[in-house]
Amino acid sequence: MIQVNGKPMIWSEGMTVASMLKEKNYIYAKIVVKINGVFIPVEKYESTFIHDGDDVKAIHMLAGG
Amino acid sequence: MEKRYQRNMKLMTQDEITALKKKRVCVVGCGGLGGYIVEMLSRLGVGTITAIDGDVFDETNLNRQLLSEEALIGSSKAEAAKSRIQKVNSEVEVVAKAVFLRDDNAVALIAGHDVVVDALDNISTRRILEKACSVCGIPLIHGAIAGWYGQVTTIMPGSGVFSKLYPETAEKGIETELGNPAFTPALVASIQVSETLKLLIEKGEPLVGRLLTLNLLDHEYQIFEF
Repeated sequence: MIQVNGKPMIWSEGMTVASMLKEKNYIYAKIVVKINGVFIPVEKYESTFIHDGDDVKAIHMLAGG
Repeated sequence: MEKRYQRNMKLMTQDEITALKKKRVCVVGCGGLGGYIVEMLSRLGVGTITAIDGDVFDETNLNRQLLSEEALIGSSKAEAAKSRIQKVNSEVEVVAKAVFLRDDNAVALIAGHDVVVDALDNISTRRILEKACSVCGIPLIHGAIAGWYGQVTTIMPGSGVFSKLYPETAEKGIETELGNPAFTPALVASIQVSETLKLLIEKGEPLVGRLLTLNLLDHEYQIFEF
């Protein structure tokens, strides 16, 4: 189990930032991701694995006014 | 006790209401967020409000921007803010600046204010504004919206929050895909105004070092610490 934005999400072996975002239906290109407080740049979404127990923050980038 | 501010009592003391009349707040952007913000600040009784926006109303603004009216299409948003404030509270000194905030005018525009409110619609101008607020030592109340989503944080001078919130080359967020309805700016603007008031009368716990995110679709309201 991992935490995504404070809510539990079932973890699976081989889960990456990219696969987690896809599963959550987050709009891929405009999101800010942190794992255990560490910022993950977009070019590393495919190669960054999420581990069981990780605390993930995935915040949509908003700029409208 | 003026009747005008009678219902502000309990929330504020008479001394705080009096102190508020000497405060100066600068609202940068008079669109979706800014329209509601100037409305609420003037009803609270903030002494001086500066409304900055170089844009004019177009038809696409009518779905959400409080200050927009069919008859005002093509008119200055900053001037509309001034006109509205004067109708709501003639005690407020209102300064309309019908210009866009840029690197070369930002410090001059915001200098001398107690609080600056970010009601902008793009990231590059937000970065300019944050830098100018740091130079002037003025707190900045950030708000942004997209579709069902909103966010608010209170940025103290020198804390460099936007570099943590937005990737370096970003200019727009998901609002380009999700649009902007009427209810999201109204809610986010309300929170920005409450943050502004807290700083002005030194009450409560502002969102410093914390980002409040609002998801109205699923009713998820969270606070992220930087």
